[in-house]
Amino acid sequence: MKGAIVATIVAVSIAFAGEQFAMSDADRAMYEEMLQNNPADIFVEEGGELFEEMIGGEVVMAKFLGIKEEKLPNYIAGFPRYIKKMGAVVGLDQVMQAILAEKKKKPLKLDDPKMFSMLAYVKSLANGEKINININADKHIKASYKLGEKTYMTQRGGRGLSCNSCHSKDIIGTILRTQPLPDLGDNASGGTWPAYRMTKSNLTTLQKRFQGCMENALLAVIPIGSKEMVALEVYVNKLATDKQKEIAIPGLKR
Amino acid sequence: MQPKTAFLSGVATCIVACSGAYAVDLTKAYESPNASKIIKKDLLKPAKKYTMPKTCKLEDPAAIERGKYIFHNLNGEDAKETPPEGLSKFIETKDKSGKVTKTAKQYGNCVACHNIEGAKGGGNIGPDLTTYRANFVDTKVRNTNFVYQKIADARIDNPKTHMTINLTSGLFSPSEICDLTAYVMATK
Ligand code: HEC
Ligand code: HEC
Repeated sequence: MKGAIVATIVAVSIAFAGEQFAMSDADRAMYEEMLQNNPADIFVEEGGELFEEMIGGEVVMAKFLGIKEEKLPNYIAGFPRYIKKMGAVVGLDQVMQAILAEKKKKPLKLDDPKMFSMLAYVKSLANGEKINININADKHIKASYKLGEKTYMTQRGGRGLSCNSCHSKDIIGTILRTQPLPDLGDNASGGTWPAYRMTKSNLTTLQKRFQGCMENALLAVIPIGSKEMVALEVYVNKLATDKQKEIAIPGLKR
Repeated sequence: MQPKTAFLSGVATCIVACSGAYAVDLTKAYESPNASKIIKKDLLKPAKKYTMPKTCKLEDPAAIERGKYIFHNLNGEDAKETPPEGLSKFIETKDKSGKVTKTAKQYGNCVACHNIEGAKGGGNIGPDLTTYRANFVDTKVRNTNFVYQKIADARIDNPKTHMTINLTSGLFSPSEICDLTAYVMATK
């Protein structure tokens, strides 16, 4: 038994040498173990129960979105989308809010941990699907993509940084204070959040992750669900779509 | 459900979410807070050219010491060592009612991107600044004004820079940029 653990640690250390050197050997071993058994699985499961109870399950969601139930996974892999009756490009969490309102049920905030769990569950329905955001589907998503790109490129905050300052093509892979700068397309960021964040020991969403970068880099943090946040999500999903990445929820992140 | 209760709960939802009609207005049935104002207030000003102030004392050991501290630390909350004289870990601001709020002083965190003498966990996004004086200053490849400008607003030298903008952004004062310049240029 002990031998097996040591062997795993050695194997993992080799696999991650260089690539994830912001982690200590012990953290790397934990990461490998969590890859087999993601602590966020339990949130996804809980999200499934809540989704059934509060929303009414996949049937209700498919009906709200005006699609056949068996089309749901592929359709989910193309979010955020323009939903005509909601009048905007929205995320799946906002769709769930609208369903709750339509059913005249108690509203649930976007930053409620229950909402994060439900979002993780709903997105996990698309596991294995290629992320397939189509920014030419209509003028609304086109505009949202443009806004996302603009928000991504805008230098602001105390240090005059933009998302692009740290995640542009010519800089990814270099080291920022022991952390390799990730390519958000290659990392399939659009398809791997909600994820378990080891440093926070919790389930975190993509928009919360954006907020984390804003806070660290001294950009004024913008609220979840704002059109700029949804637009950033569109932009980041497009990066992953271009790299033909698949949805794999829940992700596991440092 | 009884028709009466259904009607009542419909009205209750309408008070918060509807625009007069009986059915729920789905365009208002979800959170969509405004971020444009926050972003607008936070925008970086256009690139600006600076001349190093005459008051900059590049050879002053106290200035070099302050520059070193700003270079190696992220902010007053994270900084472990006591700051040198002339720097503090927190900034206190008083509002109109006289209430004082303490916020962590932001430093340069230059090591996040640059290696330099004594760097712990230095990054490699920017060039290695080790033996900067011997390599770049004594050889006349760089001068004081270049270094001051680079730290104050790197866009003048490189419009597409990935470096932080430290003076035009308002994060630091000209004398703090002097301190950083003094430290980078000093023989260590
Ligand atoms: C000062 C540098 C910096 C800035 C500016 C920055 N990031 Fe990051 N970002 C990082 C680093 C470093 C990581 C990886 C951290 C880690 O390993 O946990 C990261 C990670 C991420 C991730 C997770 C990647 C994954 O594995 O899925 C996302 C998404 C992200 N950033 C988006 C953004 C967005 C959007 C912005 C702008 C609002 C932004 N970042 C601004 C440095 C930055
Ligand atoms: C987010 C990354 C980053 C941070 C943080 C950063 N720099 Fe830089 N720095 C760079 C890059 C990249 C360059 C290369 C030139 C360019 O692209 O502007 C550079 C160039 C420089 C140069 C010019 C070197 C030469 O002679 O060519 C100096 C001096 C310098 N930085 C000092 C600093 C100081 C002082 C700080 C902290 C206040 C700092 N840097 C913070 C990325 C960074």
